[in-house]
Amino acid sequence: MSARLLAERAPIAHIPDGVLAAPVLVTGAVVTAGAVLVGLRQLDYERIPQAAVLAAAFFVASLIAVPLGPSSVHLLLNGLMGLVLGWAAAPAILVALALQAVFFGFGGLLVLGVNTMNMAVPALVCAALFRAPLRRHPGRGAFLIGAGAGALGVLLTGVLIAVALAASGSALAPAAKIILLTYLPLALVEAVVTGAAVTFLGRVAPEILCPPEATGHDR
Amino acid sequence: MIDKRLALACLLLATATPLHAHLLKVFAFAEGERIEGRAYFAGGARAKGAAVEVLAPDGRVLAALRTDDDGEFSYQANAAIDHRIRVDSGDGHVAEWTVPATELEIAAPAAGDPDRPAAPTESTPEATPAETAAASVPATESPGDLEVLIERAVARQVRPLREQLVAYEEQVRLHDILGGLGYILGLAGLAAWWQASRRRGR
Repeated sequence: MSARLLAERAPIAHIPDGVLAAPVLVTGAVVTAGAVLVGLRQLDYERIPQAAVLAAAFFVASLIAVPLGPSSVHLLLNGLMGLVLGWAAAPAILVALALQAVFFGFGGLLVLGVNTMNMAVPALVCAALFRAPLRRHPGRGAFLIGAGAGALGVLLTGVLIAVALAASGSALAPAAKIILLTYLPLALVEAVVTGAAVTFLGRVAPEILCPPEATGHDR
Repeated sequence: MIDKRLALACLLLATATPLHAHLLKVFAFAEGERIEGRAYFAGGARAKGAAVEVLAPDGRVLAALRTDDDGEFSYQANAAIDHRIRVDSGDGHVAEWTVPATELEIAAPAAGDPDRPAAPTESTPEATPAETAAASVPATESPGDLEVLIERAVARQVRPLREQLVAYEEQVRLHDILGGLGYILGLAGLAAWWQASRRRGR
């Protein structure tokens, strides 16, 4: 693919209906259902407002195009969601994606499972990798941890989208490469934004990042 | 803190032009027997070199085209059927559009459709040769042509209007955003209520 063609393409975040093969759709739906069930169980009273605010931010962020060179990107925020919400990120992402599909026409309802999986699994990976260090040193290195989560969340989403497309037919395999390349600048932007958000949260409301009770049951 | 974030989000929302980020779109209209269309990414960029498939209602591929440097394509229709246009930019973006049969003006019914047997046209047994001759010679032919010409001209004139209408329909509007945020608020309330009732039950 020529650089010219690449520059004009914005990274795809929402796979539309009618692209993916049935096994991929089913896999996505099953994984999403499992993650959402676990997430709903972990969604305790204190987390509900946070999940709602982050779902709202995720929902709206897709509309705000950040110009980047000849192309433009929009934030995904799934790394931040994973850091703050943990498992509860899965239902929050599902709700936001469903609303984006209905109101904005992003993605589709049949591929909702796959799209949610592509965003939620990286969020969960970020939660597993970065929540513990963030809790151990609150305030110190928060920007770096946030940046790592932001970049990893976006890059993993790119990889998952590429895999979903590649698994749906050999004709889509070249698309996978394009997607990975277009996701690199997005990862940079996302890293900066997530790092800044985590630093800000750490200073203003550290209890959001390190809840006193890690298990999250009634306190 | 949440207020500050919301204020920031609102500010960004207010400054950003509402657009359909990165969505592939296609529209196509019939002009006489030709289907002319354009594929573009919402926000304005044309989809150059994207694969275009013209499909019959039963899913048969009638033609495989590519968009030119302006993202445009055209197809000579040869059957008065609904044409489904499917554009694939090759990176997972797909868009569809249907040109209904009523938009196409194809003189002979299904003349180019190989699947259909040649339809019994003018030579119906009821019409005597004299009658058909009388009916088809100058009296009907020129008004018919005129009608076709007028329809074509009107279609061409109306096309920018239709394009504008499509663009208008695609725009994300404030009530879409507010509706979504309202749903999230409502779901959060529902979750809180459920948690509260569970806690009370304990």
